[in-house]
Amino acid sequence: MDRAPLPPRVDLYTAAVLLALGLGVMALAWRMPTFVEQSGTGLTAPGIVPGFHGTVIALLSVLLALRAIRRGALRGDVAHPPAWGKGDARQLGTAAGLGVLYAGFLVGTLPFWMATALFVFAFTAAFEWPEHGARRPRRLVEAALLGLAAGGAVTLVFERIFLVRLP
Amino acid sequence: MNNPLTMLGDGFAHVLQGGAIFHAFWAVLIGIVVGALPGLTATMGVALLTTLTFTMGPQVAMLVLVCVYVGAIYGGSRSAILLNIPGTPASAASTLDGFPLARQGQAGRAMGISTLGSWFGTLFGTLILAMFAPSFGEFALQFGSYEMFWVALFGIIIAGSLSGGDPLKGYIAGFLGLLVATVGQETNHAYPRFAFGNADLAGGLGLLPVLVGVFGVSEVLNAMRGPAVKAVAGKIDSVIPRLSDVTQYWRTILRSGALGTFIGAMPGLGEDIAAWTSYAAAKRASKEKEKFGRGSVEGLMAAETGESACVPGAIIPVLTLAVPGSAPAAVLMAAMMIHGLNPGPMLAITAPEFIYQIVAMLVVADVVKLVYGLILVKPLLWVLLIPRARLMPVIFVLCTVGAFAITSRLFDIWVMLGAGLVGFILRELRFPMAPLVLGIVLGELLDKNLLRGLVLTGGDVSPFFTRPISMALCALTLLAVAWAIPGFVPRVLGLFRRRRVA
Repeated sequence: MDRAPLPPRVDLYTAAVLLALGLGVMALAWRMPTFVEQSGTGLTAPGIVPGFHGTVIALLSVLLALRAIRRGALRGDVAHPPAWGKGDARQLGTAAGLGVLYAGFLVGTLPFWMATALFVFAFTAAFEWPEHGARRPRRLVEAALLGLAAGGAVTLVFERIFLVRLP
Repeated sequence: MNNPLTMLGDGFAHVLQGGAIFHAFWAVLIGIVVGALPGLTATMGVALLTTLTFTMGPQVAMLVLVCVYVGAIYGGSRSAILLNIPGTPASAASTLDGFPLARQGQAGRAMGISTLGSWFGTLFGTLILAMFAPSFGEFALQFGSYEMFWVALFGIIIAGSLSGGDPLKGYIAGFLGLLVATVGQETNHAYPRFAFGNADLAGGLGLLPVLVGVFGVSEVLNAMRGPAVKAVAGKIDSVIPRLSDVTQYWRTILRSGALGTFIGAMPGLGEDIAAWTSYAAAKRASKEKEKFGRGSVEGLMAAETGESACVPGAIIPVLTLAVPGSAPAAVLMAAMMIHGLNPGPMLAITAPEFIYQIVAMLVVADVVKLVYGLILVKPLLWVLLIPRARLMPVIFVLCTVGAFAITSRLFDIWVMLGAGLVGFILRELRFPMAPLVLGIVLGELLDKNLLRGLVLTGGDVSPFFTRPISMALCALTLLAVAWAIPGFVPRVLGLFRRRRVA
């Protein structure tokens, strides 16, 4: 609510994706078996509810598209300030990349504490690297200690104290 | 035996046995810290802590989660006052007057007002819960499939209409949530919807992994972009609340408590709307309107009381209808289901004592929150100074553990990652998250009751519109949609005025 409104063209693209999703869901729901023989009426068909949701999403996406067009989505001359600041995409990419690498690949491959220690170290080091040029070695040691502490503490607290199974 | 006071006494006795106070103290502390840290929300806190409660008994687990919820909503005001950044969205209204007070050298006083306002708010809401939830629960027993379908739909629509400023996107988010809930085997024929031959998808998308993704992973991603927030730590005056602040503004406290609880009880609206509404109402009724936004004690009191009264308010529909009143309450409801406590109309028959146990838990959490509010000043300042580059990876690790722990499937971690990325994109595209969560949580309720209703009538949809309660709920749903159409309300009001003149 506190952020600048999006350019209408973004809403138009969003509406197109949502319309495709809604229509796709409708098609898949239509192709689901109806189980008429079992239920006698076909009123318990698995496709009814997702079909309803898909239809509503498709209709609402058309409304979103119409609204975007009314707000000038098709006019090409309107300049909008960039939504993201300088370096945002890089920071976001680093965080998302490290997160997927950790949760998607390291967890389950390495022992949990080790995967966690490596991830926390890499994440902290990556984000503190540009900020502290002169004190970089110290920051790296701190990041490594934080990683080891996080890996050890999470394993201990979840597995030993709260008896939760870890990956 | 069924005397409410006796049951309330039994509720307290039950909750206070076996180390409950110890659990309450650590859980409220975690809640306050989670709430105070910008980027960590109450919903995320409750979702992550749900993992820790798997091996606990249902009562202790609920106590822990209620404490985290109560603590987190309160904790958000600390960063609102000291950093001008709401720790949770619920505390956004508190920044308006909390931060100006802090800049005037009255940070301690502001924190004292926030502590007292929040304490009164939760207490007020809990009182309403204790008085009305049991009787409303009994009334809800009259709800059949047709009515429950409308309750679920009304929840999505009202949340969509009011929670994000853009109703159209709110509705879309709500129906996307409902769609997510349909993935996996349905209940009538065990047909795996949208599974594409994948056994994991046939098992459905777990509620907790999706919620942890939407509220945990996407928050981490959001927190890591943009410049880091610099904390301002100055000298702090006494946090002991002044009695005059309460006696002078008792009307504001009562009004905000009532508004906060009412908004909490509306499906999916949540603490942020409760705080804003209470703030706006206080400003309208105030004799010191000019002070609002410049360090008004009344404004801060209203926002804090409203948001904290919303917490018990949001639990009322969870207990009586199985429909959450806010996003954290949705996760709380999911945790109740995980622990085998089946919230909803049947609770009034199967476990009426549980409502009073929740009341006792809320009171315990509220008292512990008050204690921390008075003593926890410096340590919280240190917590606020933790750099995000060190905090966020640890939060991400907790998200991963939280997603995995419930069924021990690596697939759930992928679900969390996917939900996190989709949640982040939707947030960037200005889709509100509350209707999405409500859709995911209410999906099964809507699905089951729509099909059951159709089967009962042999395909005739008329009972959905003609039974008295159904008709009322249908009218409310349509009204909520109409309310959101730009220009509809002024046009209707104009029509009435013209008639009166004629």
